[in-house]
Parts: sequence; structure tokens; C-alpha cells
Amino acid sequence: MNLAVDSLIGLGLVALAWQAISGRSLFRGIVMFVVFGLTMALAWARMGAPDLALAEAAIGAGVTGALMLVALRRLVQLHPDQPAEPKRARSRLALPIALLAASLVAVIGLGAVSVDREPGRAGVAVMDNLAETGLSNPITGVLLVFRNLDTLLEVAVLLAAFLAALAVFRDQEQAPAPPRGDLPLVGALLAIIVPLTILVSVHLLLAGSHEPGGAFQAGAVLAAGGVLLILAGRLQPASGMPLATALPLVLGLLVFSVIGLAMMLTGAPLLALPGLWAVYLIEAAMMISIALTLVLLFAGASGLRRERP
Amino acid sequence: MSSAVLFVIVAALLFGIGVYGLIIAGHLLRKLFAINIMGNAIFILMVAASGPLDGKPDALPQALVLTGIVIAVSATAFALALMVRLYQLTGQASLHNNEGGDD
Repeated sequence: MNLAVDSLIGLGLVALAWQAISGRSLFRGIVMFVVFGLTMALAWARMGAPDLALAEAAIGAGVTGALMLVALRRLVQLHPDQPAEPKRARSRLALPIALLAASLVAVIGLGAVSVDREPGRAGVAVMDNLAETGLSNPITGVLLVFRNLDTLLEVAVLLAAFLAALAVFRDQEQAPAPPRGDLPLVGALLAIIVPLTILVSVHLLLAGSHEPGGAFQAGAVLAAGGVLLILAGRLQPASGMPLATALPLVLGLLVFSVIGLAMMLTGAPLLALPGLWAVYLIEAAMMISIALTLVLLFAGASGLRRERP
Repeated sequence: MSSAVLFVIVAALLFGIGVYGLIIAGHLLRKLFAINIMGNAIFILMVAASGPLDGKPDALPQALVLTGIVIAVSATAFALALMVRLYQLTGQASLHNNEGGDD
């Protein structure tokens, strides 16, 4: 029974991936890709990884899909009359190379599945030492305590990607503002949904210590609220980066490195955290930074300004 | 056949589709789909092949994959910005010098 469900999900993933690659229009491809991401979330849930399911649904499918759609809209706005898609390349080697790559992955994976587990491997060490951290979600434990250098640099990569995207867009005129949300229902709907996204993201953030959730999932949900405000015209892209934008943007990196380095003064190793409060503080700061970075990436601008309806 | 083996096979198929798409895709957006699909295939591989730990899934590969998902979206966002800029400058969003040409 379980295997039947897994097979269906697997079949769906393969079919959706194929559709995304070879579907008729680019828009259709994006839709297929988003559905692929949501199906990935199902697959993660089936593999017993609810943290990944949350992250995939919010970040993998939601944010990536939104970014792709807004990029496609910019392409169409630049040259509305051009044929959207260039022809595919014809390559005799494509199929053999793809088959070889697939078999390579299969051999590695099947080899890894059949190997006997080392008794002292890292995953076991995580579970053995988790109680000391005060966290009961082992994934948050790995991300914030055991391998937190990875997480620090991950936030740095996100910031670097945003700054690089900004540099690419720098001398470009602002994309025309999306239509203002003048429909009577938009305001009422925003008044419900936006507070709800804040509530859900704070819940995900706090839940991260003992059940699935964490700063990244929370940041992505919060970003969804921001994207909604942009789509409804309540927030408009603006040029220039005021301190009120720049500070939250680097807050996660700043709080994380300051706490991590300050602990070194007391003789602790790099990025050793003083306690559970530090984990919460860092996660909250990271959530704000991640959400703002994702929203600004969506807006394609260095700042935002409020627009009263 | 266990679920782990099944998901390893799915990962292999997805990776193959990703590589194929990356080679044949004309539009850069399609190449981005392909790269993301390849990435997802490797994520599945890491979690499925790591196997359970006392009945529960191993947390370490999951944490690594979580990091990977965020890095993937960062790289995709930057790539999309580059694509829009390329389109703005050259009027096409592909890597071919002339439309439909091989390589």
C-alpha cells in the first residue's frame, strides 16, 4: 500500500519534470514546475522529512515559482511582440548523456542504500548530543548548533545572490508598477491574509525548536505576505536603499556573527552559542532577513515604499 | 522493493530528465527548470539513500538538503536576473548566437 502511494508520487514527479522541460509554452512550464515542487513536498512527507516538505512547499515551489513568473513577465514586457521561445537545440548526444547521467545517479544511490550503516556516523552523534542543546527537533539542532557555520554562510549566499541580482538590475529603469488593487475586496482580503502570514511564520519559527519548522520556512511564508502586498500595489518598488531596509536585510548575518564571535572572547570555539535564547534570537533575525531578501528579489528593486490605497 | 530503492530510481530518472532538458532547451528559463530538477533529484538521493536511523529518518542529510534548497533558490534568483538582463541587451533569452543553431 505504502509502496503504491510512493510509486504514484514518483510517477507524478517524473511526468511533471518532463512536462516542465518539454511542455508547450513557457508559462505552462512554470506552472508544471510549481506543481512539481508541491509534489516534491508530498515526496518529502512520504520520506519522513516534514521539515523539508514545509521548506519545499514554501521556498522550492512558492518563492521559486513567483520569481520565475515575475521574470517571465519582465521578458514579455520588454518585447511584447517577439515569439516567446527560441527553438530547441538538436543534439544527438543529449539522450545518451542523459541516460549515462541517470545510470550514474542510480548506481550511486543503489550502492548507498545497500551499504551497511556505520554505527558511529554523524546522524547518530546528532541524536546522542541533541539533549545538550535544549532543542528537540534534530534538524534545527544541526542547522543552528552542530553545523551552524553552514547556516551562517547560507544566509550570506542568499544576501550575495540578492546583491548580485541588484547589480545586474542597477542601471535598469524600474519595472512598471503592477495595477493598483482598487477592487473593493482586495483590501479586506489583505487585512485577513497578511496578518495570517505573520502569525503562521511566527508559529513556524517558534515551532522549529521541537517540531517541523524553522527560520527558513518562516521567512518564506512571511515573504509570501510581502509578495501579496506588492501584487496588490500596497508596496511599490523604490530605488535607493534606506537604512530601514538595509539593516533588516543584514540583521540575520549580523546577529549570528556578533553572537558567534562574542562567544570566542570567552574562550569558546567559533560560533558556539551561549544558550537556547541565542538560537531563538538568531532564528528571528534570520527570518526577517530572509523574508525581506526574498520580497526584494521579487520586486527586483533595492527598496520598497508604502502606497496608501 | 523498498521505498528507498523506489525514490533512488525516481531520483535517477529526474536527474536524467534534467540533464536532457539542460542540453536541448532553447530558452534559458527551461534550462533553469532543468537545473532545478537536477538539484531536486540529488536532494531526493541524499535523503533516500541515507536510510533511517532507529526507525526515524536521519536528521543530518535533511539539514544539508534544507540548506541546499535555500542555496538553490538564491542561485535561481540570480540566474533569472541575469536572464532578464541578457534579454534586455540582446533581445533573446538563449545562449545560441543565431536562432535554432546547433551549439
